[in-house]
Amino acid sequence: MSPDSPPSVKVTTGSGKARWARLGRRLGARVLTGVVMVLAVATLTFFLVHSMPGNPIQTEYQTLIARGVSPSLAAQQVAGMYGFVSSKPLIDQYGQYMWHLLQFNLGKSITASGEPVVHLVLSAAPWTIIPVLSGLIVSFLLGVSLGAVAAVRRTNRLGKVLSVSGSLFHGVPQFVWAVMLAYLFTTLLPIFPFGSPYNILDTPGWNGPFILSLVYSAILPVLAYALSSYGGWLLTMRSSVVTVLGDDFVLAAELRGLRPLTQLRYVARNAFLPLFTTLLLSVGFMFGGSIFIEEVFDYPGLGYQLVNAVNARDYPLMSGDFLFITVAVIAANILADFLYTFIDPRVRKAA
Amino acid sequence: MAVTVIEPGLGATGTRRPRPPGHWQAARRALLREPRRVVGAAIVVIFVVLAVVGPFLYPRHLAANANSIYAPPSLVHPLGTDFEGTDVLSLMVTGARYVLVSGAVAGAIAVVLGALVGLLAGYLAGAVDWSLSRITDFALTIPQYPLLVVLAAVVRFTSPVLIGVLLGVTSWPGLARAVRSQAFSLRERPYIEASRSLGLSTRHVIVREMLPNIAPYVAMNLLVSMIGAIYAETGLFFLGILPTSNVNNWGAMLNQAVFSAGAIGSPQAISYLLSPLVAILLLTLGIVFVLDAVDEFFNPRLRG
Repeated sequence: MSPDSPPSVKVTTGSGKARWARLGRRLGARVLTGVVMVLAVATLTFFLVHSMPGNPIQTEYQTLIARGVSPSLAAQQVAGMYGFVSSKPLIDQYGQYMWHLLQFNLGKSITASGEPVVHLVLSAAPWTIIPVLSGLIVSFLLGVSLGAVAAVRRTNRLGKVLSVSGSLFHGVPQFVWAVMLAYLFTTLLPIFPFGSPYNILDTPGWNGPFILSLVYSAILPVLAYALSSYGGWLLTMRSSVVTVLGDDFVLAAELRGLRPLTQLRYVARNAFLPLFTTLLLSVGFMFGGSIFIEEVFDYPGLGYQLVNAVNARDYPLMSGDFLFITVAVIAANILADFLYTFIDPRVRKAA
Repeated sequence: MAVTVIEPGLGATGTRRPRPPGHWQAARRALLREPRRVVGAAIVVIFVVLAVVGPFLYPRHLAANANSIYAPPSLVHPLGTDFEGTDVLSLMVTGARYVLVSGAVAGAIAVVLGALVGLLAGYLAGAVDWSLSRITDFALTIPQYPLLVVLAAVVRFTSPVLIGVLLGVTSWPGLARAVRSQAFSLRERPYIEASRSLGLSTRHVIVREMLPNIAPYVAMNLLVSMIGAIYAETGLFFLGILPTSNVNNWGAMLNQAVFSAGAIGSPQAISYLLSPLVAILLLTLGIVFVLDAVDEFFNPRLRG
């Protein structure tokens, strides 16, 4: 900016109405992009499934014939399962698939005797969301607080030990955590049950023993998730705090003689901003982020359902799970972007 | 007309000046600064040697022995035996090649694609940047493991190189985004503007002028992508998405141990179950420590 130009940076934060209109437009644009992305993923999934070696419909048809079902009946059943007649050209099938998708109809499962895919996916979702959300919260709180300590004490032993622990924990893949915890605490030291998300002797429902067994069985999966994501939070928070510590306002606070606790509060509030977005994105990614843990602990969540659907060649269910998991990520993206404008005033003004 | 030729490297007296410390020397210094980096490098070297010579040490089909199932570690079987009585050490040694080959292929592809897309988008800007960035955003949004599960089921690859290709083409977007933002700032540097105004081709500017500047970052990411690919590949085998029969891979070992052989429920199988886990952990540890050295080598500010 040349020195004689007036400070004409127009920051129209003022009148509420204009601001809301701007936020609304921004949100609208994001949602539109999101919808386009969902449609693109659906298209991708459709053509992937239809380029599979061994047409799934043909495979199912032959399985039925092999079981001794008459050809005409088999054709009828197969058509019923997929919700469309397979003899139509691919482009028509695609059109129909997308039209059904707009009505939240994802077809019917092959393995679960014609159950609607939407129903199956929605009933698997809580088995993923509840344990993973608990693990996410535990690891986030632990990682963020220890990450702040690691940054402030980065020159001494404690800080170094903490950051090395972060790198190592971050490096260990999820399935290694899951298998190690399962082997350690259900076989070598059998203090936890294995192979079922609850005690099968209890009757499912809102009763004490059942809920207790649910919580008890969830400890290991939650721990596996928490351990596998703790390192990432620690490292992110550490580097964020280190960056903020170099800012002028920290020096100013120190020179003003503010108490260390007050200084820490200033630093923490600013260092937390970049982590907030990551946290929201993790909430989106958690829908598909626990495949390994669910497989090891037999949790009937979305990842478990996806892997089973793939192994059983249940393509409608497979596409449905994949689409649902992706939509969750896209929705979390939009939400993160939108909420960020509320917690960081700098973005709001620049928008 | 007299033309003064300045001989590079020759001083006024004609004797060679002492050369500044070379890359190898700096690399060695960065490595030797901390003992754990030496340990890390040793681990990585051991695994690479295993991958190269391992399959020559054992017969193509490893012998099974029904009389010694889940045998504890002994002199004959240093890591015990598996559910068929096959020596676990031989499985580990012969499995290293598969794991490392697909990891290396995937890492190389991811890094080349990521750097290329990032540089093109950052340097050309405008419409090219817009479309490449949309593709990158889109690819970043799709969760990696669910996508790999679906893709692996479609392609049903079994060869380590093809698995590496599959993992490589799905893991470039993160690097592309990071390289793009670096290329954006490089673009405004005077020497890039100079090469542009000299009319040098896009290819020359990107490969000869910009690439050397982001090379350190790309080199670090090669190792990071390799670790990621090794996890993804052993993970896919572990889930049983990739066919585990007749394949020597640590992930396939784990799959059989956990889901079909029941080793996870049997305390005797401890050495069988832990071997692939420890191998993956050791390799990770080695690469993390080597990365530390690479980081220092490329960032002189960290030295000291």
